[in-house]
Amino acid sequence: MTGFKRIMGVSALALAAFCVGSTVVAGTLENVKARGKLVVGVKNDYVPYGYLNDKGDVVGFEVSLAKYVAKELLGSEDKIELVPVVASNRIEFLTAGRIDAIFATLGVTAERAKVIDFTTEYVSAAGPSVLAAKEATLSKWEELKGKSVCGIQGSYYNKKMTEEFGITLVAFKTQPEAYRALKDNRCIGFVFDDMTLQQKLKEPDWASYKIAVAPYEFQPMAGGLRKGDTEFREAVDKAIGKAEAEGKLIAWETEFGMPHSDYIAARAKAAAAKN
Amino acid sequence: MFGLDYSWLADPAYQQWLLTGVINTLKLATLSSSVAILIGMLGAFGLTLRIFWLDALIELFVEVFRNTPPLLQMLFAYFTLSSLGLRVTDPSTGLSVPLLSAFACAAISLSLFGGALAIEAFRSGIETMPRSIIDAARSLGYGRWARFWRIEAPIATRICLPALTNILTNLFKTTSQASVITVPELMYYAGQIYNDTFRTLEVMILVLLIYVVLVSILTFAMARLEAFMAFPGYGRGH
Repeated sequence: MTGFKRIMGVSALALAAFCVGSTVVAGTLENVKARGKLVVGVKNDYVPYGYLNDKGDVVGFEVSLAKYVAKELLGSEDKIELVPVVASNRIEFLTAGRIDAIFATLGVTAERAKVIDFTTEYVSAAGPSVLAAKEATLSKWEELKGKSVCGIQGSYYNKKMTEEFGITLVAFKTQPEAYRALKDNRCIGFVFDDMTLQQKLKEPDWASYKIAVAPYEFQPMAGGLRKGDTEFREAVDKAIGKAEAEGKLIAWETEFGMPHSDYIAARAKAAAAKN
Repeated sequence: MFGLDYSWLADPAYQQWLLTGVINTLKLATLSSSVAILIGMLGAFGLTLRIFWLDALIELFVEVFRNTPPLLQMLFAYFTLSSLGLRVTDPSTGLSVPLLSAFACAAISLSLFGGALAIEAFRSGIETMPRSIIDAARSLGYGRWARFWRIEAPIATRICLPALTNILTNLFKTTSQASVITVPELMYYAGQIYNDTFRTLEVMILVLLIYVVLVSILTFAMARLEAFMAFPGYGRGH
């Protein structure tokens, strides 16, 4: 049994090493200024918020916003490093100090607020809807009970899907896999953020599909920052407020092919009135 | 301890997820390990027959499945095979659906991957066996089949047990990659739980401990098996 004891000893050491890694970082604004570069976690597979254009550059609504914030903080929108993140690692990247801020389709939830701080909310995003073939007769969430529906691992609504709606969730790591699986009929629909699915429907490949089940909620979206760093949060909020007042967000809606939302227009008006 | 927060473990949904995850991990590991050992034995037996085309076939199999990442094999089985036409019509909906489920794809690719490694392990066991024993069996009139099952396989199994333990532990840990093709095993649920609760560290520590315990049971059982099967003059029988 000495071998077993040795294994346990090594495991305990590994655990201790794990625990040391989680110290709190403060003074992000100073760090960013000293470094001369803002490191931002963005999506690179999520039209229109953050995606790769034909040239292979990461662009999008939130990428433009992140660049604007970099310009306000550091004087140039090129003083930025864009780190591609996914839903399942973005908060870990932030809390571990690998990025300074998240601008990656981050919905504001009470659970998340326990772990990170949110910037001012800048988009009101529709929650998840379900993409399915045109012939599908489903129209309500309750009708999905017991059915296999594709999804994405780490989505905040996955627990609701399985526990409340009784869906058999087939969750993938990335969207391309889920789209492939839907086309393969591995699932009867794909539950994902409505905005993305709406964009997908514009592609000719997806002409025979529709949004079968409409979103059950609308959720504000905001940037994510490390908890308790008030100085940095205020600086970022100020930059976002300025972008709103200048009507930048409305311009980005146009640039990235998004339908103009009342929410963003109202915020722009309010921000402009405040200045 | 260390300011860790395990309050999320009180949520019945998460308990159920972890339990389902462990069960699916065990199912996948048990099934693919058994099939891998079977493939290993059959393959090694095939190699002792010294048939030219069979040797080439087994070697090709070993090279293909040992030299490609199991993750790629799973993705290939899951996405590509159905695109290549491995589909059936679902009688309840009339839709053409892939024949192989995610679990089947993972089990098959892990079995073949483990099997390729096991063939090599068994082969090395047979090849390191003293020539004199085989000659002795021959002179006693053992046929090809009887010689393999009664003399070569029992001795070779004992010789290659440590290598087999390595392969099985590796196979057990590789089951975690099946989460990529949506097999709801331990890592699949672990990822969802820390995405919901943001208690990444706590979830990872728990999952790490579960794997340590499960794999330790496996290695302990294999060590006992090795001791039980030891025969004088070899390995643990010294």
